[in-house]
Amino acid sequence: MFDLIIIGGSAAGVAAAIYAKRRNLNFSLLSTDIGGEVATSGEIENYLGFPKTDGIELAQKFKEQLKYNNIQHQEVRVEKVEKGEGFFTIKGKQNGSAVELQTKTVLVATGVHPRELSVPGEKDFRNKGVSYCTVCDGPVFKDKVTATIGGGNSGMESVLMLAEIASKCYLLQRGDTLKGDEVLAQKVMSHPKITVIFNANTKEIFGEIFVKGLRYEDTKTGEAHELAVDGVFVHIGMLPNADFIDWVEKNEFGEIKVDTLCRTNVPGVFTAGDVTDVPYKQITIAAGQGTCAALAAVDYLNRN
Amino acid sequence: MTKSVAIYTTPTCVWCKATKEFFAENKVSYTEYNVAGDQAKVQEMVQKSGQMGVPVIVISDENGKEEVVVGFNKPRLKELLEIKS
Repeated sequence: MFDLIIIGGSAAGVAAAIYAKRRNLNFSLLSTDIGGEVATSGEIENYLGFPKTDGIELAQKFKEQLKYNNIQHQEVRVEKVEKGEGFFTIKGKQNGSAVELQTKTVLVATGVHPRELSVPGEKDFRNKGVSYCTVCDGPVFKDKVTATIGGGNSGMESVLMLAEIASKCYLLQRGDTLKGDEVLAQKVMSHPKITVIFNANTKEIFGEIFVKGLRYEDTKTGEAHELAVDGVFVHIGMLPNADFIDWVEKNEFGEIKVDTLCRTNVPGVFTAGDVTDVPYKQITIAAGQGTCAALAAVDYLNRN
Repeated sequence: MTKSVAIYTTPTCVWCKATKEFFAENKVSYTEYNVAGDQAKVQEMVQKSGQMGVPVIVISDENGKEEVVVGFNKPRLKELLEIKS
């Protein structure tokens, strides 16, 4: 029986693991990887202590700190968390084999995954011109024409990265303004290779073996337009990874509701980071919540 | 049986890095093709794997028969490279 099982290995999970280790808890960190969405983030200039870094470097730092603290994570893909009498059962797969662990407390720090457009052609052309990770797949599109869907920070970072690689870049935004940091918006609007199309609702992605273009609708006029592009990068928001635990209170987006002590509504179950209903999804916030959750778990274990 | 291993990567790809770390840990020697900006290599990779995502790992046996693995598919790589752990 573990004292604590942490599910998820990016900022929240790793921060919690470090605190759990230093408090001598009998714990395990379960994650298929270390870094999660942080690792595929591209440029990061707002993480405390690091004026300018990137996702790969920062994820590497997380790994180094785990190693420094002699923490070895387990590559378990968690499929279900079940509630028992004063303990919880975690069920999942490790190396293809089924595993089951029991623990007094659980910390869900599983973050988010990219939202899909849900338009025809999106699934057919996945990895054949459609990508959800500009950092990963952008470099393949040298001198090609790309379209980034989504005008938040993620989308703006995507199109700015692609502008260094591709011959021409579009940014399609559903609304009539760019969201996110003003600094990025200014760079995007003034870049000679980038054309921003507002009020654009992507309707279809088409091609033969690979993407040849997309169709979008002008939300104000209803007019249909076509863009010839080689790559479509989807950055339209994220959905919480919380399907494996359905008996904690969640909001209408499926995010796990969290209080100021990083507790869920079920005693012994804690949550931290982007998977929670914290309105601001930032790495520093995830790290802070991971810390809080670990300490709250220690407190809970001391009292129960 | 000695197999030769090639991996198509881009510099910013996390799973490419993870695959190379896995190779290093298991002392697998490989040839790396950075496809960023190399259209010929991109085409080669796309032809072999039918898709554009990285990493693509191509394992050839001494008869030239190729097995293509798309993405960091650890179980499949272990199987093809006969790595036990």
